[in-house]
Formats: sequence, C-alpha cells, structure tokens
Amino acid sequence: MASKPGASQTQAPNADGKFSISEDWLAFAVGLILLALCLTGIIPEGLLP
Amino acid sequence: MSDNNAAADASIATDSASAASAETAPTAPTAPQAGQHPIIWTILGIVVLLGLGFLVHSLTEWVPAATKGTGFGQIAKSIEFPVYAILVGFAANAILSALGLRKKMSRAFRTEFLIKTGLVLLGASINFAVIAKAAVPAIVQACLLITAVFLFTWWFSGLLGLDDKLRALLSSAISICGVSAAVAAAGAVQAKKEQLAYTASLVIVFAVPMIFLLPWASGQLGLSPAVTGAWIGGNIDTTAAVTAAGTMAGEQPLQIATIVKVTQNALLGVVAVLLTMYFTVKTQREAGDTSAPTLITLWRSFPKFVLGFLIASVVATIFASNADPTFAASAIGVANELRTWFLILAFVSIGLEFSFGSLKEAGWKPVLVFAAATVVNLAVGLLLAVLLWGSFTF
Repeated sequence: MASKPGASQTQAPNADGKFSISEDWLAFAVGLILLALCLTGIIPEGLLP
Repeated sequence: MSDNNAAADASIATDSASAASAETAPTAPTAPQAGQHPIIWTILGIVVLLGLGFLVHSLTEWVPAATKGTGFGQIAKSIEFPVYAILVGFAANAILSALGLRKKMSRAFRTEFLIKTGLVLLGASINFAVIAKAAVPAIVQACLLITAVFLFTWWFSGLLGLDDKLRALLSSAISICGVSAAVAAAGAVQAKKEQLAYTASLVIVFAVPMIFLLPWASGQLGLSPAVTGAWIGGNIDTTAAVTAAGTMAGEQPLQIATIVKVTQNALLGVVAVLLTMYFTVKTQREAGDTSAPTLITLWRSFPKFVLGFLIASVVATIFASNADPTFAASAIGVANELRTWFLILAFVSIGLEFSFGSLKEAGWKPVLVFAAATVVNLAVGLLLAVLLWGSFTF
C-alpha cells in the first residue's frame, strides 16, 4: 500500500471521534427540539414546502 | 495556548472533523488559509446545499407530472427523492470542484449530522410497539451478522497481508456501520489518518451502487417488506445509504432497515471496546490500560442519536394515543416532512462530499477485501433476514 510522503508517522485520529460524538449530541438535540416544536404546533402544517 | 497554536489546533480539528463526518468524507478538505473568510464559505455552502435541496424537492414533484402519459412516466413515478438527491449532489460536486469551490464550502456538507437528525425525526413515525417487537430479531441479526462479517474480513485481509490496524478499520466499517464505525475503530486502535481515509472512500464507493441494487434485487426476489428492510439494514454499511435504499423500497422496509441499522450502530461501542482491549494487550502498552478505558470507550463510541431515535418514538407513540387524533396526525406529519428535508440534504451531501482521491492511495488489496466481504455480507445477510424476519408482521 502506498503512503504519502511524510505521512509515515502514525497519527491517531482521536479528534475525529471526539467531533463525531459532539455531532451525535447535536443531532440528538436538534432532532428532539424539532419534534417538540412539531408536537406543540409551533411548526404548523403547510409551513414546509 | 497562544492564538497561533489555537488557530492551528482549530484548523486540524476542522480537517479531522470533515474526515469524520464521515459517512462521506474520504478526504479531509484543505484547511482554509488566513484571510479566506471560512465562515463566509461555510454560509455560502449552506445556501448552495439548501438550493440543491429545493431543486431535488422540485424534481421529485415535477418529473413524474411532466412525463405522465409518456413511456418514461411509469419509471419516473417510481423514482424516489434519494435518487434525485444523490445525482444532483454528484453533479454539483463536479461543478463546484471544477470551479475550485467544493473544498472551500465543505464545512457546510455535514452528511452525518443531517442523517442522524433525520433519523431522530424518523423515530417519531415508528410506533414504539414496532421497535419493541423488532428488537429481538434485530439484536440477534446484528450480533450474528457483525460477528460473521467482521471475522471474515479480519481473516481475509490478514490473508492478503494488510496491516492489523487497517484490518480493524475495514472489518469494523463493513460489519457495523460504515465510516462511523471506522472512526470509532481508528480511535480504538490508534490507526493512521490515511487508513481512515482509504476506508471511508471504500465505504462510499461500495454503498452508492447498493442503494439502487438492493431495493431492486429485493423486488426481483419477491421479499416481504420486513425481509427487504432487514436485508438492506444489515448489508449497506453507511446509515445514510441504508436510509436512502429503505426509502426507495417503501415505508415499512425503511422502518425495519432503520431499526436493524440503529441496532448495529448501538453495538459499535462493544466492538470498539473489544478492539481497544485486543490492541492494548497486543502492544502491551501502559499497565492498567486493559481494564480502565473500557467503560469510557463504550460510552464514547455509543452513537447518541440512537437515544434520540428511541425517545422520539416513545414520545410520539404516547402523544398519538393521548392527543386529538386529527391534530396528532397533522403534527407527526409535519415531523415527517422535516425528516424528509433532512434526508434530502443528507443525500445531496453524499454526492457533494464524494471523492475518489484517497482510493488512489489505497491500492487493490483493500478494494478486494471490501468486495469479498460485501459478497459474504450479502449472502449471510439475506439468509439471516429470511430466517429472522420471514414471519414478521407490522
């Protein structure tokens, strides 16, 4: 397998996992907030195209 | 930390984040240089994404109406929005790449966030009784399929002499949930970033054709909606692609495909813990590492959107059984429309983020491993889907 010049040093992508987890929480929060807005009628039928 | 260091760290984090966004970011975008106004590019990217979303929405309604009564009319009627979304995403990818704008706007193309938010909203349209009923076959299928496909991929990639860390990434990606699993495994085994990029590229290259192939093959084989959903959910690696294929197969296959995929996602933490333990023991790192990080790894790797999906289902089920039926149907209908919008934007992002660049670095061995494991996944997945879901009723 070819490797990029200068890329032979192992770089652990820990930051990837950390960001992915926070993006996970963001999806969790945004999804449930939007659902709450729908169920309370704040986002009414017909608002979305 | 100095401002310069902070800026450098932020730049690295952004690149990593884009790679992690994972379902679809095989290559990390170039870090914006000072003075390039990255926020403006991100805002422009969001505007472009929303514009493409409206285009997909319009095409989904306009093409069947415009072709009604023609030879293409019946075909156009059966084409669901994921097809338009992915094609529009690929076309925009080519145009923006040619103009040199795609990488500048790439921060706006957050496939993973969009698909996970869409799936939380999807939970609202699934009665919790269906989830409870489907839990046992979904868990059994996930455990058996993950074990079989992971072990095959690990063995076959070892046979070809691949590095152990790349073996772990490929095995996790194919057997569990695509790039999210590869990201978690990369953290667990301390893999190289380029290995993560290869794996991410392969996941997308193999997932896109499957979006079209599996719903078609299920129809040809005459599979029931539940078996179709279980086959799709168990086989396609990325959650976004599972949702796209499930949507094309129908609402009931989509529900089962989502439950199966979400179950696999939930088992990601278990596999990450096992990989951490294996590599910690193997490399004989600091004493005590074999036990201390396991619970933390389990929680860190657990996809939190799964909790949102379950909570949405419980809340919507209770709401529907207590509120005025007309209002409840209307409110959940709005949530479904929102879900569709998030999925449209996620599928457009799949096309926008796609890149063949990293594949050139991967060589033929990982491609061969992925192809062989996909065939095994298809065969074992179909067998388990028929055995476990053949008698399932909604």
